Amino acid sequence: MPIPSIIAEKLVYRYGSLLAVDQISFQVASGEIFGFLGPNGAGKSTTVKMLTGQLLPQSGQMTILGIDVARHPKRVQARIGVCFELTNLYETMSGAENLHLFARLFGVRSFDADALLRRVGLDGRGKDKVEGYSKGMKQRLMVARALVNQPDVLFLDEPTEGLDPTSAQAIRNVIREEQARGATVFLTTHDMHEADMLCDRVAFLDRGTIVALDTPHTLKQQYGERMVYVEVLAPDGSLQRREIMLDRADTPAEVAALLQGEQVVTLHSAEATLEDIFIRITGRGLAS
Amino acid sequence: MTTMMLTALIAKDFKGYFANRFFALVTVLSLVAFTGLYFLLPKTVDETLALGLVLAEAPPALEAELSNADEVRIARFATSEELQAAILAGDLPVGFVFPDDLAAQLQAGTQPQVTLFLAPDVPPEFVSIYEVAVQEFVFLILGQELPIEVTETVLGPDMAGAQIAPRQRMLPLLVVFVLMVESLGLASLIASEVEAGTIRALLVTPLTMRGLFFAKGIFGSLFAFAQAALLLLLTGGLAAQPLLNLLALLAGAAMVTGVAFLIASVGRDLMSVMGWGILAMLLLALPTLSLLIPGLASNWMRLIPSHYLVDTLFRTLNFQAGWREVGVNLLVLLAYAAVLMTLGTMTLQRRFR
Repeated sequence: MPIPSIIAEKLVYRYGSLLAVDQISFQVASGEIFGFLGPNGAGKSTTVKMLTGQLLPQSGQMTILGIDVARHPKRVQARIGVCFELTNLYETMSGAENLHLFARLFGVRSFDADALLRRVGLDGRGKDKVEGYSKGMKQRLMVARALVNQPDVLFLDEPTEGLDPTSAQAIRNVIREEQARGATVFLTTHDMHEADMLCDRVAFLDRGTIVALDTPHTLKQQYGERMVYVEVLAPDGSLQRREIMLDRADTPAEVAALLQGEQVVTLHSAEATLEDIFIRITGRGLAS
Repeated sequence: MTTMMLTALIAKDFKGYFANRFFALVTVLSLVAFTGLYFLLPKTVDETLALGLVLAEAPPALEAELSNADEVRIARFATSEELQAAILAGDLPVGFVFPDDLAAQLQAGTQPQVTLFLAPDVPPEFVSIYEVAVQEFVFLILGQELPIEVTETVLGPDMAGAQIAPRQRMLPLLVVFVLMVESLGLASLIASEVEAGTIRALLVTPLTMRGLFFAKGIFGSLFAFAQAALLLLLTGGLAAQPLLNLLALLAGAAMVTGVAFLIASVGRDLMSVMGWGILAMLLLALPTLSLLIPGLASNWMRLIPSHYLVDTLFRTLNFQAGWREVGVNLLVLLAYAAVLMTLGTMTLQRRFR
């Protein structure tokens, strides 16, 4: 069995009296896209900081690509790429200059900035100063910067938050391409829809602990309820919405009765979303 | 840390420094302005003593003495009013008015009244010197020798006829200012990198914290050194003891780079960097005051690191001091640079975490 790309065992981190990360353990397989989901303040960014060698855990152990992060952070950092949640680019430098700077820090000698910029949809803008970029362009450049060393493990912290659909899609495409290249992707997000689209497995983080960890499909099967949503025309001419649970014994009869007795306008089935499941497990939404 | 990393970081800092238009402009302007100021200041010191004299008739011996005195320039006036007008106009600092019947009064054995007129900026300690000069005049008028003979012996370099020109006194201050301007620019650059989070991005690469500080230290020291060396070159300060002066500048540049680290560890933005920086600049400029105003030097000024740079430059530029004379200064300056660099690095590291 191949060594998992990421192993975290009982990681703990406190900010003063606040327990930000409480004994979390998980493993991420090589080539996997792993979603780390939870609301703001759940401990996602603190976990990423520990895994990327920016913070030392107060207890617990972690390895990336079989290397102990706490003992050899620089060996680990040479093989990972990190895209931060907040934009931290050199704004007075051009996009290409930003990439070249980091390529040289990683010791990459033959580096094609234009090709990388093209991958993230910034072709033709490499010579422009970053201060003139839109938010979406900056975020795409942040992702490109995380790729300059062709990392074996890619950490992306809320890479599409607040972006326009085009920029978000460009970043999702890059994530899939990186997986196809063989990289492991650790995706931190509170966008459950995005996690559902991209991730092989997801972990739900709430108040510093992992409350669920599995594939999106399994989580939906385990915790979700499939529904039928029906819109009917009421006698007064208004539209009324009905919800019927799909997996109960009396569901066929209930649907048949509705079709016979009422004027059905629309009818469609839907499975539970990861957000529904998160709320069901934690009792609170992602915005809290 | 590889050479590739080091050159990449130095090139990045160089671009970042000049991307800040304020510091780019200040850097260029300060070099031009300080060089210009140096050349605008007098290059010689007027050592002659100028004084006005109202004296109806002087004996031939006195006339001969006055015309032969190289170090005294005497302007004669017919009336007291004319003398006072000249002093008020700033043409003379001092003037003596002897009564018209001076000779008659002296022969009669009465005590003539001599009036001394002084410009308002004459230091109080000089007044008694002028009073003594009046008495000496009277001896000359009477054709008498002084009752004593004075022998002059200068201990150390005899500066008679070779007084240190104002521009030479000012030069160490200009050097400190140039170094500090670079220091403020570097502090602002680092503070902006910390605030923008770019330092965090650098530190999740193979670049170590030590490597980062090494690169910043190299950039800051070399950049400040280059500016100060250029100033000395343009002002002729490298004509004597060039190696010694360059080493002093390099140590001084390392010292202000340490100060820049300290400022960056407390400054959040340009305004706070400027606030702390000006405080540091004033402190580091204090030792130069003792050069500009001789007699002001106090022992506690030796606690200020820049004293050892200023003193070294002043002595090499004006007294041809060599390695033996200023070697201890250089060692202390290097020690201060090491201490400030270490302190600056330690305090700044806390902001990176």
